[in-house]
Amino acid sequence: MTLQWAGVCLALATFLSIWWGHVGVRILEAKSANIWPPTIALIVAGLALIVYSLFAPNLIVSGVSSMVGITLLWDAFEMYRQSKRIMHKHAPANPNNPRHAALLAQGLATTEDLLDREPTGKPIVLNDQAHSATSNTNVVGDYKKVGA
Amino acid sequence: MMWAGLIIGFFGLFIIGMGFVWVIRMEYYLGYLWWPYPLAIGILIIIASLFVSNGLISALMGIAGGSFIWGATELKEQAVRAELGWFRFNPNKKPDPPGVKWIKKIGAPHL
Repeated sequence: MTLQWAGVCLALATFLSIWWGHVGVRILEAKSANIWPPTIALIVAGLALIVYSLFAPNLIVSGVSSMVGITLLWDAFEMYRQSKRIMHKHAPANPNNPRHAALLAQGLATTEDLLDREPTGKPIVLNDQAHSATSNTNVVGDYKKVGA
Repeated sequence: MMWAGLIIGFFGLFIIGMGFVWVIRMEYYLGYLWWPYPLAIGILIIIASLFVSNGLISALMGIAGGSFIWGATELKEQAVRAELGWFRFNPNKKPDPPGVKWIKKIGAPHL
C-alpha cells in the first residue's frame, strides 16, 4: 500500500508556519520602530508564495507554498493587532524600541508578560485596576486573585 | 495552473479562523486541562491522512490535524487570558477530563 504524504507535509507546514508566525510577529513588532515596512514585506512575500503555488510542479509544493503564503498574510494582519496588544498592555513592550518607549513613558504599556503564568482557575485583577477589586482579593506577586 | 494549492490555502485560512473559535469555546466550557484530546484528534487525523488516496483530501486533513495540534497548545494561554479578563471568564466549575491526574503531572504544552 502506498502512503499519501501530502497530509503529513501540510500538517507540518500548518503547525510550523502558525508557530513561527506567532513567535516571529512578536519579535518583529518588538524590534520595529515602524511596523509598516515589515508588514508590507510580509504581504508581498505572502502574495508571491500564493502566486507561485499556482505554478508549482506538484500538489505538495503547491499546497505548502500556498499555506505558508496565507499564514504570512495573516501575520501581516497580526503585526497591526500586536501593536494594539502593546497599547492595551496585553503584550510586553520593548523599552529599546522608540515606539514602545513612548508608550511606556506615558504609562500606556508594560514590559511585563502577563500571559507568562500558570492558570489559577480564578479571575485576576491587575494592580492598576485593583480599585475595582472586591474585599476578598489576595495580592499574588504583581496581580490580585479575586476570591482566593 | 495548480488550483489545488489555492484551495488548500483558503481552506487553511478557514481552519485557522475556526481554531480561534473552538479554542475560546473549549477553554470556556471545558477548561484548558482537556488539551490532550484535541492533540490526540489532530494526530489521529494526520495518521488517517496517510491512508487517503486523494492527495487534495489528504492535504486538507493534514491542515485540520496541524491546526488541532496548535489549538491544543493554545488552551493554557487562553485560560490565562480569560482569568485576566481579556476574554469571558466562566465562573462555573469545569468538568475534569478523563485522566486528569496524569494530565496535571505532564503540564499543558505552551509554545
